[in-house]
Amino acid sequence: MLCSSSCLRAFALALLFVALSAAEAFAHCFVGPRFLPATLATDDPCVADEISLPTVAWSKTGDVPAATEWDISVELSKRITEDLGISIGDTWSNIHQPGGFTQAGFGNLETALQYQLLKNGPHELALLLELVVEWGGTGAVDSGLATPWSTLTPTFVFGKGFGDLPDSFGWLRAFAITGQIGYQIPTRSFDVDSGSFIPQVLVYGASIQYSMPYLKSEIRDYQLPDFINHLIPIVEMQLSTPVANNLGNSPITSGTINPGVIWVGTYFQVGAEAVFPVNHASGTGVGFLGQLHLYLDDMFPTTIGRPLLGGSSAPPQQVKF
Amino acid sequence: MRLRVLMLSLLSMALGSVAAHAHAVLDHASPVVGSTVASAPREVSLTFTQNLEADFSSVRVTDANGARVDQGKAVVSGNTMRVGLKSLSAGTYRVRWQALSVDTHKTEGSFTFTVGGR
Repeated sequence: MLCSSSCLRAFALALLFVALSAAEAFAHCFVGPRFLPATLATDDPCVADEISLPTVAWSKTGDVPAATEWDISVELSKRITEDLGISIGDTWSNIHQPGGFTQAGFGNLETALQYQLLKNGPHELALLLELVVEWGGTGAVDSGLATPWSTLTPTFVFGKGFGDLPDSFGWLRAFAITGQIGYQIPTRSFDVDSGSFIPQVLVYGASIQYSMPYLKSEIRDYQLPDFINHLIPIVEMQLSTPVANNLGNSPITSGTINPGVIWVGTYFQVGAEAVFPVNHASGTGVGFLGQLHLYLDDMFPTTIGRPLLGGSSAPPQQVKF
Repeated sequence: MRLRVLMLSLLSMALGSVAAHAHAVLDHASPVVGSTVASAPREVSLTFTQNLEADFSSVRVTDANGARVDQGKAVVSGNTMRVGLKSLSAGTYRVRWQALSVDTHKTEGSFTFTVGGR
């Protein structure tokens, strides 16, 4: 007998508990001298031991008249080995129509299996491959907030800091970019209920960020207030374009552009972004995205902040110049 | 309301049991990162955000030609690492450091300072 959505959710939470209980580990996204923060709307290019608790988004849909939507998400990322990681997350949504009708419930569970292809310190370059799976039928399908079918999205993620530019580039070396491109494949090609094709979608995004911590510690310490030295101003962009099996549906690209700022602390970061829809199909007006993100590797370095496997406590090699 | 209480409880549990260790990030340096100093400093001092493991933390200082101008092994005390310098002439010098915090998080970085206002 097939498991119900609550059964699947309980199973996922049990897996999460096991992971947290048995873990051993250490590091978030340091690439040489560069720290790449967890981005709010797109993926960052490192396996890590972190949790976003929560991510909160408010927006208005592209409907006429527009509905108001709240999304509250939680996502846990956990390293299995130094280079292999998993993540699991879910989103609770509340969509309020102007007439008083409200839809509320969980979306489908989303997991990702991630592999760290490369971390090159001198060039501040990180590459990551991941397979993102949205598990069909694990959310509020009856409310229309989740689909009964699953999607698979193989995704390539990169991050690059510009600290390897010549010193003459000065403050420009504090810039970094991240990006991702994925191809979303649904496990069904046709939705019988709506009588429409389910498209395959190109999912892509990028961020450009300016690291005040990097400016202070690597380029020039302007003796700015401590709060300023912890800021990373950022602009993120996330887009999706149907590219196949889309007969009868809109071929329009949708997405948002999000300017904002991330404050980076020792054990956590806090981010806030404005959300600008790129077109009417993507939403109406300016939304908001906020996130509290905890670094488990720094908070619990000897327990749940270490990789599940291979994270030995043996001392590292002695540094020799 | 219940959700808010639950979230705050989880957060306080998480933060309340935090160990006082993390990545050792450079907090400040003397000479100041990217600065120009009028007279040659006798040492470079680096202060980090966490205490360091002395045996696994190091710093070297080189001139524009890549020749070392520090006096060898750094002295680590708590969250501070110091290394003496040879007599420096006017010019730009690069400081490269590696640090291991007491909970084995490894970090690295480099910066320059200039002697003599060149």
